[in-house]
This record gives sequence, structure tokens and C-alpha cells, in this order.
Amino acid sequence: MAAYFGVRHLSPACAYYVREFLDRNDPEIVLIEGPSDLSCLIAPLCSNETEMPAAILAYTEDTPVKTVLFPLAEFSPEYQAMRWAVRKGRRVMFCDLPSTCLLSRQNNEDEEREEDKPKRVSVYTELERVSGTDNDSFWEYTFEQCESYEDFLEAVSEYGKSLREFSENDEHNKLREAYMRKVISECEAEVPSEKICVITGAFHTAGIKDIPFSADDRKLTQKLPTIKAKATLMPYSYYRLSSRSGYGAGSKAPAYFELLWNSRLEGAVGSSSDRYLSMIASYQRENGYAASTAEVIEAKRLADTLAAMRGGKYPSMTDLRDAAVTCIGHGSFGEISLACADTEIGTKIGSLPEGTVCTSVQEDFTRQLKELKLEKYRKAAAEEIELDLRENLRVKTEKSAFLDLNRSFFLHRLRILGICFAETQLRSQDNATWAERWRLQWTPEAEIEIVEASLKGDTVKQAAEYELNFRLYEADSINGAAMILSDAFDGGLTDCISTAVSAIQKQTADCSSAEDTGKTIGTLSSIVRFGSIRRIDTEPIYPLMEKLYLRFCLCMPSAAVCDRNGVEQLIIAIAAVNDACLAHDFLDTDRFITLLSDIADNNFANPLLSGYACAVLTERGKISSEKLSELINRRLSAGTPPAEAAMWFEGLARRNRRSLISRLSVWEKLCSFVASLDDDEFKPVLVALRRTFSDFSPAEKSDIAENIGEVLGISKEAAAEFVTMQLSGDEQQSIDELDDFDFGDI
Amino acid sequence: MSDILRLPAEELYKAELDALIANEKDPVPTGWRMSPKSVLTYIMGGKSGNTVITPKYMGDRRIAEICIATLVTDRALLLIGEPGTAKSWLSEHLTAAINGNSSRVIQGTAGTTEEQIRYSWNYAMLLAKGPSHEALVKSPVYNAMETGTIARIEEISRCASEVQDALISILSEKRISVPELNEEVAAKKGFSVIATANTRDKGVNEMSSALKRRFNIVVLPAPANIETEIEIVSTRVAQLADSFGLNAELPDRTAIERVVTIFRELRSGQTLDGQVKLKTTSGVLSSAEAISLLINSMALAGSFGNGVITDYDLAGALQGAVVKDDNKDKAVWTEYLENVMRKRSGCAKLYAECRERNS
Repeated sequence: MAAYFGVRHLSPACAYYVREFLDRNDPEIVLIEGPSDLSCLIAPLCSNETEMPAAILAYTEDTPVKTVLFPLAEFSPEYQAMRWAVRKGRRVMFCDLPSTCLLSRQNNEDEEREEDKPKRVSVYTELERVSGTDNDSFWEYTFEQCESYEDFLEAVSEYGKSLREFSENDEHNKLREAYMRKVISECEAEVPSEKICVITGAFHTAGIKDIPFSADDRKLTQKLPTIKAKATLMPYSYYRLSSRSGYGAGSKAPAYFELLWNSRLEGAVGSSSDRYLSMIASYQRENGYAASTAEVIEAKRLADTLAAMRGGKYPSMTDLRDAAVTCIGHGSFGEISLACADTEIGTKIGSLPEGTVCTSVQEDFTRQLKELKLEKYRKAAAEEIELDLRENLRVKTEKSAFLDLNRSFFLHRLRILGICFAETQLRSQDNATWAERWRLQWTPEAEIEIVEASLKGDTVKQAAEYELNFRLYEADSINGAAMILSDAFDGGLTDCISTAVSAIQKQTADCSSAEDTGKTIGTLSSIVRFGSIRRIDTEPIYPLMEKLYLRFCLCMPSAAVCDRNGVEQLIIAIAAVNDACLAHDFLDTDRFITLLSDIADNNFANPLLSGYACAVLTERGKISSEKLSELINRRLSAGTPPAEAAMWFEGLARRNRRSLISRLSVWEKLCSFVASLDDDEFKPVLVALRRTFSDFSPAEKSDIAENIGEVLGISKEAAAEFVTMQLSGDEQQSIDELDDFDFGDI
Repeated sequence: MSDILRLPAEELYKAELDALIANEKDPVPTGWRMSPKSVLTYIMGGKSGNTVITPKYMGDRRIAEICIATLVTDRALLLIGEPGTAKSWLSEHLTAAINGNSSRVIQGTAGTTEEQIRYSWNYAMLLAKGPSHEALVKSPVYNAMETGTIARIEEISRCASEVQDALISILSEKRISVPELNEEVAAKKGFSVIATANTRDKGVNEMSSALKRRFNIVVLPAPANIETEIEIVSTRVAQLADSFGLNAELPDRTAIERVVTIFRELRSGQTLDGQVKLKTTSGVLSSAEAISLLINSMALAGSFGNGVITDYDLAGALQGAVVKDDNKDKAVWTEYLENVMRKRSGCAKLYAECRERNS
């Protein structure tokens, strides 16, 4: 009969004893639980250049993409079994259902799972109730700390049987086990059955051990549904391993399990607890907290006692962590939480030899790096690269003329996919049209992200398009959709552009917010203005902009009546639309001017906005000086509440300062306005004016002061003398009183 | 019923302790009366032979395990927590179970002196006979060292720093020297110290890190969920009402739930469903406070009413418990009444009574 070994995935003790198991049985064929069509991945996985953790990823070719993932770490029993077989030159194969079948069943299962199944209490919950310790600690005490091969083998097989007895065996597992029996019987036809070792989860071992392949099994496994799928190896990280929950798919504390594994290899099973606590302490010290050796010793003693109270030989991770919190963390987990994360989860990232990881996206990525001459940036040190998107006229071929543009497309696509290889840097000109600066750095994390991108498409471009289409589907604001459109432009994704345009069009109908519309016009305008440098046709955007522009002009009058909180966003929107108007002839400028004149003239509009509208008009020379002085008179007259008057002036001073400073009549008006205020009115006005002038440059301020001096008939010298004079007691007091001023809502 | 106002734990639960000792199966550490596992059973409840052991601490079992494991090693234990999180309660029951004597207590106050921690003299005797064993007045810590038992220090952070520091040498060297008699007392096996400290007093007399280092620190949290808290409150109210002989009916579950809900909401600064943000009061609204509030209402109902707690009684007690610092708390309470209680179904009567009291 074949020899069977039931494992728990990602268990160091299992990994250790599986090697002994194989040594003793010395099989010709090793069968491991894993998708049988992917046995070809075992060899690269066991290569000497491979650093664990790594994962096998199978995914469907068609959308919606389904995936199955088999993560493996150094201390995975399956991995150790593979290494053993490869080292000894024995045959090693996977024996579970093929990935194509698993994936196709996943499709159906999702639908079935929706139906309510009678839910039994999980066997683990039950175990916790009976043993009085949590499931993980129970496993650690009973299995990880076991120090004899025979005991372990017996305990694990008992464990598997009990698991089976107390939990449901569903259809899916029955099929899988039938398939495994089939593979085993096929192998038995080739070699004597005692030369076969079968390594599966303990649960399945109990279901396949010594059960022959029957006629029913044949019927069950005859016609397996399949789906088109691909598979690859990918480097994995401890962080990802820990963030996946669920039996078999991950481990809560991979770095801690590696500690267990290493102390197993050294032959000192209990020594991991000392190391765990010392690592916590040294992490604390490195990060500027005090952690003494005495505390580590105390923690170790406490952990030992805790373990003894619960019947463990050595402390489990829960014991260690609780002891560390009490002794090193002074009772609070927060103090050592980072140290715990570092020691338990760790930051290790696996790597695979060149060429073994082969999704089409990766191939595409490597090819494009070569084509775009970016290969030298594929290294751990960060380097910056400047791109000039304009056509290079000094070269012959078109390809090299637009090298930088194509680089930019490529890097933008990576950015869209969230691959951390490329990062945009701030550019010196804020509206730079032809220059870009990127920071490139190759990290193993980037490699994982690229492999993940393969779920979205076959090439970098396809994946980026898929990602943007998905985001478009999710986008709930019109400006959000416009930003996606802008991303599509940056990445040169022409297909996405038309989809995004139509998405925006649809949303325009529902959008009645002047603020969003205005900002969207701004975003679209910059696309249209600078689109040509990317050699992309911007024509389809024109009608969209016109439509939005009209909507903006219609929404704005009612939106202009708003409070202080909303007005800043509107000002941004008006500025954006103003820029768009200046840049594009096809927009109806007169409509915008009329809109601004209405707002400027409207006594009920927000004064800040009203003043701002006035400033824009002045800047564009679309307001007569009579009208302007009429407005100034009206706004700064006694009938207007002083705080509003000051706000209006603030709006007016937001733009076009030079022309404001040069108009003496403005300052005359302001002087007489201030002079007309009584003490209580003066304070809020003072606050608003101070705010207005705070972002003027010193030169501008001194010009204004000179203007005012002229209005009041005071010479420069007299003013300087007065300003530098010692303050009298009364004056000092009234300045001090300002400290108690209640700003209210200004 | 005993005429003692408050019996110590070891007498109140004598039957349970005796049963645990009688049924002991596991090894007992030196100086202890029962094994660590039995102590855990005593604290968390369970069964010993045929005797049912009532739970004394209703909270995380793990916390009790850590406390007991600390005392098994020779480390001292420091319990930290908000007021009313059963620090002293736990410390009393631990000593009662381990030593059968919870009375070796030093109450930490601003007036606690070093002599109260080490030893002092009977001055009449000292003058008459000079320094001698008869003239020596031993502190609870001194006694505990001699007998190999556990001493308790309550509210350690209320003591002045120099008094706290007197403990350092005791805890690290485990001996007290009496230079006047040219003697040294070494602690017997089993000696340890359980101290409690209040997080609200943080910074009053911050414990030195030298002293902190000699303690294993366990933070006691407020009850994790409302069911636990209701259970704690109803159990304790029943026990206390029995020992005070209050002439009133126990509050029903709705009343307890209402009080606990109000306390939890004001403590966490939001309603239980997380929908409304609330201001918190200056005072501490602990489970202990809720217990005394209900006992108080029972006393009101028993002495001046018909023995059944009415909304009127509850409103009076709530007002006293919530509004401690006049203006601020009053505003908080008004806001709570208007924004939360008024809209809650079934609370109309209580709301009206509370509003009347708070106006």
C-alpha cells in the first residue's frame, strides 16, 4: 500500500517530519496535494535560486477573472516534500483536480453558495470549547512542540480522522478525493504501490488512505468541466501570506513560523520563544524604546508559566505575546504592536529565478522595457528620469523621435495599474506640457504587482484599459470620470478615451453642481490644450465641453448664493472656466461675461464671489470704469454690512492686483469706507482686510500704503514717523483687547 | 446574616474555597493554599466537586491567567485601569484564594509614609525599652514577607514618589533591614505584592521606571460588551442588596439595561449603534458607579416609596451620578436627554423625569 502523510499546510513541524517520512519510505513517486496540470511548476519552484515565499497562481483567461492561489513558504510541508524529491531525483507530481477544473467549479460554486446551507458549528470552534484553548495555541502545544516522529505521525492521523468525523464533507471534497484516488491508482499501475508517498491535507488523507479507486469514482471523474486558464509562479510576501485568512491559504504569523522552523532545524524546539522575545526587545530598542534584558527574562518566565497553566510544554505564540505585553510593553499592546507585527508577520518577500515567472503581462513588461531602453532602471536603487515628450527632430526613425512620449505612455500605464516601479515627481512648471519627471525603482513588491496585473489583461496596455474601465464604472462624480479621462490621455489609451467621454456625457445629464461642472471643464480643457503633444485626437471632447459649459452658465447664478464654506470651491471653478474660455475659441465667451456681470451686480450673491467676478471682469477689460466705480461705491456704502463689504473687497483683490493698485479711486473709496465705521464695526473689517492683504508682496503693500497716504494727504516721512512712534498706553490696550476678539464666522 | 457591614472575600466565599482545597488535584506552589488552576476556577467560576463556584471576575479569562501566572513567578503584579474596573476586587479575591487572607492591605494616599510600608515603632515601648522586637510595629508588607504571603497596595500612584521607591529594594532584594536591631528579614517563598493604580490619576505621582520595571503590568479594560456589563451589574446589585437588607425589589432587566446603556454611551462618547456622537462627562461612569446608582435607587424606593424602583427614583440617582461638575456636565446631560433619550422608544417617562430634575 502506498504511504500516506497528512499535513497541515504551512506547519513547520509537518514540514520537518515529512522529510523524515520520505527518508524512511524512500518512494519512487511523491504525490502532493496541488493542481495536477501544474506539476511542471515544481521544478522551477525547487530551483536553488528560488527564495520563498512563492505562490502558484492559476487564473481564467476570460473575464470575470477567477483565480486560485497556492501560497508556499520555506516551512510548507508540501514544499519540503518537493525539495526532497527533486534533490533525490524522484518523480514528484500534484494529484488534486486540475486548475482548469477547479476554476470552472468556482464559477458554479459562487452561485450555489448564495443558497442558505444549514450551517454547522465549525469544528475549530468546537475544539476551542472542548480544549479551553484557542485553536492556534492548541495546534502549537500538541503538534508543533512534538519532538518524536512516531508520536507526531500518530497524532496527525488521529487529528485528520477527528476533523473528518466532526465536520461536513461536501460534494467538492468528494470529487477531489475521487480524483486523488484516480491519480494514485494510475501510479500504482507503474510502480509497486509501496514506492508511492502521498502527501495531502490531514483531512483528505483520512479520505483516500487505503481506499481503492472504484467504479463510482471513475464515473465521477470521467467528465470534468474545464475552463480556459493559465498558470504561473509568482513571488509572494509574508505580509500577503498573513493577510489572507482561512485554512491552507495563509498563516497568521509567517515570520514566527519561520522561527519555529529554524529552531526545528537546529534541533532545539523550545528555543524559538527566547528568540521571539529577544526580537521584540531589540525592535523596541532600535526604535527608541527602553527594553532591558531583565524584562526579556521576566517575559520568558511568565510565558513559561502561562504555557504550563494551559498544559503546554513550551509557550505558544499567544503566551509569548501576552507575556511580552505584560513585561516589555508595560501592560499595553499598543506599545509593542509594531514590534509584534515585525516579529510575527515579518517583511520577507520571495524571489524567483529570471524567466520562471511568465505571465504574458510580465513578458510584455520586459519587452517594453527593452524597446523603450528603460532596462538599466530595473534595479534596487532609485533613479530619476526626465522625459521630453516633443518630437525629437534630430533622429531619423519615428520610433526614436517619439521615444520619450512612448516611455511616458508606458510609465503612466504602470501608474494606473498601481505598480510601484514608476512614480511621478513634481515638475518645475506646474502646467508643464512637454516635460515629465519620473522616479524609477525596482522592488520585488513591484514584481508581485505586475503578476497581479495579469488578472486584468494580457499586456500592460490591456490591463490598464481594463483598470480604467472598471474605475469608470465605479466613478460617481463627473469630475471623477474626467480625471479618469485624463489618465486615459496620459496613458495613450485611445479606446478608453471614447468610453470615458460617453460616460461623462451620461453623467452630465444628472449633474447639477456648478462646482463639479466647472472643475470638469478645467480638467477637459487641459486635456484638449495639451492633448496634441501626446498625438491624440481631442476632437470628440469639444462637443462635451460645450455642453458642460452651457450647463455651468445655467447652474452658476443659483449656486452663487452660498455661504463661506462653499464659496472657495466655486472660485476655483470660475477660475478654471475662465482659463478654458481664454484657451478655446469654440466656447461662447459672451455668455460667460454676462454670467460674471450678473454675479458682480447681484446683491444677494456671496460677496466674496461677487467681488471675484468683478475682478475677473476687470482683468479681461469687460467692465467699464463707470460700472466698476458704481459697484465699488455700492459695495462699500453704509447700507452694506461692514463684514460683507470687506469680504467683497477681498474677492476683488484676489486677481489682477496691479491694476487694482493703480486705480487711485478704489483706495479713496476704501479709505472713506473705513473712516465711516464705528468701533464695533471696525474690528471684523480689520480682520477681513488683514486677511486680504496678507498674501500681497511687501512691494505691493508699500505701493498701497503710498496710495493711501496720497488719499489722506500724508507724506511718506510723516507716515514713517508715526508708525515707528512708541505706542501710548491706550493704544497698547486696544491692541491687546483684539486678542479677545470673537471671530465668529468670518 | 452577619452583622458585619462588609465581610472579607475569604469569609464570604469560605465554602467555595474549602471545596477547592478539598478537591485539589494539581501541584500547589510553595506558600499557596491551592494550585494556580484552582485559583483560576475560583476567579472565573466553574465547578469543584459538587460545589458550584460563582464567577468573581466577569471579563477576559486570559487576564486572570496572566495575573495568576505572574504571582507564580516571584514577580509583583500591578493592576491598572479606569476607576471601577474591578482592580481592587480582583486583587482581594486573588489573595483570598492564594493565601486565605486578603487583609494585608496598605491604602496608598498622599499621606502614606515610608514607615507604613516598612515598619514603625511603638514609641512608648521604644522609650521604655529601647529598640526591641516588642517595640517594632510591622507593616503589612513586613508581615507578608515573614509569612511568605501576598501583600496588597491600593492606589499606589496616590503615594508620594519617595514612598513608592521604598518598595524598590523590597521587591528586588526581597528583604527589609532593620538597622536599629541590626537585623534583616528575608522574605519567605510565596511573598509577593499586588498593587493597583488608577489611570485617571496618571501624572499625579508618576511611577518611576525603576519601580515599574519590578512589576508585571496588567491593564484591566472596561467590560467589552453590554451583555457582560449588564450581567456584572445585576449580579453585584443582587449580592449587595442582600447584604444591606434593602427593603426593595431588585431592579428588573430593562431598568438595568437602561442605566448600563446610558453609562456606556456617555463613557464612549457615542451611542451604542454608533450613529450619534456625544460629549463625555467629567466624572467617571464605571460599572461600579452603575451598581451604586441602582443600589441607591433601591434604597430610595425602599425607604420612601413602595419598594419598587420607579422612573422617578432612577432619574434622581442618574442626575447625581452624571452631573458632577455643575455647568459642563449639566449641558452634556441635557444634550444626551434631548438627542438620544427623547427619541428612544419606551423611555418617555424616564426622559420626562430626568428633564424635570435637570432643569
